[in-house]
Amino acid sequence: MRYVGRAVRAIVSVVIFALVLELCARVDDRISYGAPMWSSYNVDGLYEADHVGKRGKPNARYKKWQLNSLGFRGPELRPGTTRVVCFGASETFGLYEAEGQEYPRQLERDLNARAGGDVFQVVNVAYPGETVATAILRVPEIVETVHPRYAIIYPAPAEYIWLPWLDPPKSANNGVIEPLPKFELRIADRMRIVLKSVLPSRFQSRLRQHEIDRDEAQYKLMDRVPEENVFRFRADLLALIVALNARGLEPVLVTHADAFGEHPNAPDHNLLIAWRKFYPMLKEAGFIDMERRMNDVMRSIAPEENVVLVDAAREIPPTSEYFADFSHFTNAGSQLIAQKLAEGMKSAVGGGLHAASSPARVNAAMASNSE
Amino acid sequence: MTTEALYYAVVIVAMWLLAWLVRSRRTARQLLFLGASYALYSSWGWWFLALLICSSLANYGFGQLLRRRPSAARLWIGVGFNLALLGTFKYLPILAGVAAPASGLAHLLLPLGISFWTFQALSYLFDLYREDDPDPSLLEFCLYMAFWPTVLSGPICRLPNLLPQFRQDFAPSLQETRRGLDRVFMGLLMMALAQILGAGLQSGHGVDGAFDSITHTWGGTDVLCLMIAYGFQLFFDFAGYSHIVIGAALLFGIRLEENFDRPYLSLTPSVFWTRWHMSLSFWIRDYLFLPLATARREIWWRNLSLVLSMVVFGLWHKGSLLFLIWGLYQGMLLLLHRQWQQLQRWAGWQLPEAVMKPVSWTVTFLALCAGWIFFRANTLSQAATMWSALLHPSSYHQHVLSSGFYVLTAVVGGGYFCVVGAASRLERAGFQLSTRLPSELKFAAYAVMFYVAVFHGAEPQGFIYFQF
Repeated sequence: MRYVGRAVRAIVSVVIFALVLELCARVDDRISYGAPMWSSYNVDGLYEADHVGKRGKPNARYKKWQLNSLGFRGPELRPGTTRVVCFGASETFGLYEAEGQEYPRQLERDLNARAGGDVFQVVNVAYPGETVATAILRVPEIVETVHPRYAIIYPAPAEYIWLPWLDPPKSANNGVIEPLPKFELRIADRMRIVLKSVLPSRFQSRLRQHEIDRDEAQYKLMDRVPEENVFRFRADLLALIVALNARGLEPVLVTHADAFGEHPNAPDHNLLIAWRKFYPMLKEAGFIDMERRMNDVMRSIAPEENVVLVDAAREIPPTSEYFADFSHFTNAGSQLIAQKLAEGMKSAVGGGLHAASSPARVNAAMASNSE
Repeated sequence: MTTEALYYAVVIVAMWLLAWLVRSRRTARQLLFLGASYALYSSWGWWFLALLICSSLANYGFGQLLRRRPSAARLWIGVGFNLALLGTFKYLPILAGVAAPASGLAHLLLPLGISFWTFQALSYLFDLYREDDPDPSLLEFCLYMAFWPTVLSGPICRLPNLLPQFRQDFAPSLQETRRGLDRVFMGLLMMALAQILGAGLQSGHGVDGAFDSITHTWGGTDVLCLMIAYGFQLFFDFAGYSHIVIGAALLFGIRLEENFDRPYLSLTPSVFWTRWHMSLSFWIRDYLFLPLATARREIWWRNLSLVLSMVVFGLWHKGSLLFLIWGLYQGMLLLLHRQWQQLQRWAGWQLPEAVMKPVSWTVTFLALCAGWIFFRANTLSQAATMWSALLHPSSYHQHVLSSGFYVLTAVVGGGYFCVVGAASRLERAGFQLSTRLPSELKFAAYAVMFYVAVFHGAEPQGFIYFQF
């Protein structure tokens, strides 16, 4: 009986420990982000469904991600500025960077520093998982609400690994976002993040490999991305450029940078496994090949369509200083790509583009500040 | 939380289970502890481990020589070896950095914990010379030098305290395990608080940001707040670490020397130095100050010994002008306090305790915190600027630190004094928090400490005393 009593007390103590941890997580969220104490609080709260797929929910906030009243990440639109929109996926939306350090924000600061005043506003219209195909469908609405002059296109080629996922109704889960779960353990997510940062990468790779082995059976395994997919990427990209040109926007095309050098080493292999977890149908080597081919597509389209190209794939060194994982930026990575984009846009401005508000001032300021 | 912390946690749990399996086999248990100690130490670098083993073997050899015939010459050979070792890795690179920055010597890596385990070796030799011979085996001596909880940053142990514990059977008791866990969790919480003070509530708005980014626009209140905040950061960091180390050793039935005893409640500087980094201050007292002070009978010599001891205390941390000044400052504080006591006795001044206590505490606390400016400042000119702001009343109207930082310092510092004050009162009333609290409540407290330590102490900025 004594031992049963002790066992019960031990179990009660463990349960209390877990409950207090969960309570701490909720109080922490409340203090840090003004999150609700008892209802659901997760990243899905940032989005809502529409005819294209998922879009940002106006004024939503989840941790460091704050959307404005139009549902775009970043501050409200400022009148009287020359607007630059950034199309892309999670790399553009920003995952690992501190708040305000994602590259669209850094680009805005860089451009305005070069222009010598509050001349430009960069609007981040990207969402994680957004494809070029869905971006085309959003162009009319974005142009109507934001009135941009320039459009930066930083596509995520990986979205073209599996064409069935490109179909908007499917990607939008038939237009409906999954209902938010009623109860979630917020401490579990925190523990996962901490474990991810402390567990050796080899061990994490083994766990991921296990998941990949389980999931790959559902797909036809590929050594490389089929040519058909690359054609689709090219066609969508061309369609987006045409759609933007038709509305008077000047596109700037950016090749996709990643954390892999010419010859991937052992740490690269761990990153490739981490990437493959999201696309189990493609073997690791196929990702490097995909990046090369998709970037070649962008390099060929740019001169054909007379579009400015910023070759981020070649200009961002593939090191952990700039990449927090396989393709998402660190603060320093975002700073570097913003700098490259600002330089690229300078050449666009020099090529005959005009800022909406005061073109002469913009051109002169950018030229003088870049000396 | 870092990968190293996770390794340590896993190794400790595994080691505890293995130690329990060999609980009554002394040599096997000592071998297990030594193997684990070397394995953990080698995770910082194989070269460091090689150096530690060499030092252990050499000091054991010097010990054998002293045991055969204790003589000053033999002692000085051993002392010279240890000082040369410490000087080569700790002070030579600094000198080389000034004289020849491009030379390889300037870039010599400082083996982690060398100041701590070298002082342990020295205390062993001094004890032998005094014919206080605990007679360890080579295995026991190597374990004493490398014992995993203390090898990185102390507490600086003495062999006569550890050896009997290395030799006794491992008989874990529930009470000791609980006490050990209490201290580990308390330490985690304190270290997390130190990191919060260092990093600030908003990134860059903590102690580290203030010291590293503000150079010359200090206001007096800024410096006042910053020196107090840093005093607490350093205290929580090191005392927290010591709690973890002492608690972890307690899980294995080993009681280490205490390192802190509510130092900021001290009413005088001399009491403070019996409560702050106690293992080092007692080492300095026993092996440096007392032999020096008793070498001559004159008062001036005793005072000089005191100041010299504190200068060595400062230089033990780092061979820099700032630490030399810090040691000198602490020595002068002790000296001033001693002169003040003598003056009081001579003049027959005796203020009522109700007045004397708060005045003494305030003066002591502020004087000690002001000393931390030398300890933390990045350059001598920064320290001078801060002291200048502190001493000029006109500078008190301006401030550059964020209001959040003032609030954080007030909450953490004030909270500490409230908690410690309440705990002291309860203890005086015979209520031991650690034993009387129901286990369910304790687990709730553990959870809060664990949460703060793991999810808010995750900034990889490192434990301050690792650099020493």
